[in-house]
Amino acid sequence: MSGPPPGGMLPGERIAFDPIEGRAKKHLPGGARVAVWVIVNIEEWNPLQTMPRTVLTPPAGGAPMPDIPNWAWHEYGNRVGFWRILRVLDTMGVTAALAINGSAISAYGPIARAAHDRGWEFIGHGFSQRNMQKVPDEPEDIRLTTAAIAGFCGTRPRGWLGPGLTETWQTPEHLVDAGYDYVCDWVLDDQPVTLRTRRGPLANVPYTQECNDVAMMLIQHHKASEYRDRAIDQFDCLAADATADDSARVMALVLHPYIMGAPHRLRYLREALAHIKASPDAVFMTGGGILDWWRN
Amino acid sequence: MLPTERQEYSAIVDRPPLALPGGNKIIFWSIVNLEVWDISRPMARQVIPAPTGQVLLPDVPNWSWHEYGMRVGVWRFFDLYKRLGLRPTLSINARVCLDYERVAAEARDAGWEFMGHAYEQMPIHKVDDQRGMIHRSMDLLQSFTGKRPVGWLGPGLTQTYETPELLAEAGVKYIGDWVYDDEPTVIRTGKGPLVTLPYSVELNDIPMMIVQHHESAYWKTRVMDQFKRLHQEASDRPKIIAVAIHPYISGQPHRIRYLEEIYQEVAGYDGVLHWNGEQIYDWYNSIARVHP
Repeated sequence: MSGPPPGGMLPGERIAFDPIEGRAKKHLPGGARVAVWVIVNIEEWNPLQTMPRTVLTPPAGGAPMPDIPNWAWHEYGNRVGFWRILRVLDTMGVTAALAINGSAISAYGPIARAAHDRGWEFIGHGFSQRNMQKVPDEPEDIRLTTAAIAGFCGTRPRGWLGPGLTETWQTPEHLVDAGYDYVCDWVLDDQPVTLRTRRGPLANVPYTQECNDVAMMLIQHHKASEYRDRAIDQFDCLAADATADDSARVMALVLHPYIMGAPHRLRYLREALAHIKASPDAVFMTGGGILDWWRN
Repeated sequence: MLPTERQEYSAIVDRPPLALPGGNKIIFWSIVNLEVWDISRPMARQVIPAPTGQVLLPDVPNWSWHEYGMRVGVWRFFDLYKRLGLRPTLSINARVCLDYERVAAEARDAGWEFMGHAYEQMPIHKVDDQRGMIHRSMDLLQSFTGKRPVGWLGPGLTQTYETPELLAEAGVKYIGDWVYDDEPTVIRTGKGPLVTLPYSVELNDIPMMIVQHHESAYWKTRVMDQFKRLHQEASDRPKIIAVAIHPYISGQPHRIRYLEEIYQEVAGYDGVLHWNGEQIYDWYNSIARVHP
């Protein structure tokens, strides 16, 4: 294929190259330098499909179905791990964003209620955990997800994160049509940016592949303490960058209950948050609040 | 049945806590896995892929790597558990009783719990006659030890949608394949209920050393981080920590010290019960009354 199909746009058509150097200065409330947002991802893994990730491959390889051990490994996060993470966030006084599959709202009702009770921001994350390019009807998937969240929360979600950050050429158009203000899939900057779509503008709020437990623990296979060490290094550098140009940066910290909610990893999440929380340069927000601040 | 048809989603915070006898806090469940890797098939795991990365048969280097565990590594385990006075669970391919009778007899005579682990090491999806394989395995273990196993772990934890029915039919009471909780749970089968015990793919030397390629010393760090967290949570509700090892991995000279040091360090904590799977099952069944 030489270009995107009709109705879609190339990345370069959506956003012009714009270096961070020399941009207008932005100032966060309270003199903070870094808007930190914590995104907790809640997924439902369909036991009839290939598991999105695996911790253990079958003897001699392959991907036999059903895949009970890897389904159960993920399910642990929702039965046990989430509740462990919740205590840490409660103790730290962090209001997080919940990126949630539409189907997970009913499948894991107690999780959705716990997040809603605490005023977390709900972000659409696909109806089920599968590549958006494999979803037969993308607008319908987005509509179902939006309806599931709106039905539960009473308000429509403003933000969207593709499952595994996947998009088709037309995803931004579909999101604007569905009333979304921002997307998180474009991990290309330390500040919010605006994407052009054929239906009007769509913001992108910085998300991360770097401080993300899927990339770090499941793909790169780092030991658990690397999550803490990397988050601290990331925060310190962003704070120094923002201080140097008297402006602001956004830092995302991404976690999944089945990964960081394992007992042996939890302390490193707590220690990373404790470091950030102790800094006068940090202010905790979520995607919608970051976007409102950015737009003044 | 689909997993979601066998049980309803349950958040751990919504359940009443269980209670351990004597006010104990945490159960430490040690599981040793013994397998048969048939030289005529692709090896279950590889330490060294062939040049060009293709799977070649016979795969002598990787067969030998695993065989080291049966010839040498497992004897480091026997020595360790004898010194500690512990009787772990032995997850055992039934064919080990024939091909490595010396090893199986050592575990039997040391009083280890035998847990069914298929006939030989291959995904259960590729077994032609699953029911026959399960009965053959259970019968062989029963005749070797004089007692029918109460527990089962799928090879690589694999199951098909029919496996729980076939296991219940063969007399299995608990399984380790459902690593989805910190506590035992009950699942439905068409042949009566099964108990799930919280085995581990996190504290398991295959994912950690062979899949994720961590350094040997990280084994101890991760297990102790897990232990400390669960021990702390156990002041609210008892917890179970499972540690799964294989002689060809943790029985290596460069790794064994980290396993030994874990037991030394755990000995400094209060309220720890070293129980095998059958003991955990008996305790849970006495509370939950799953089986008569």
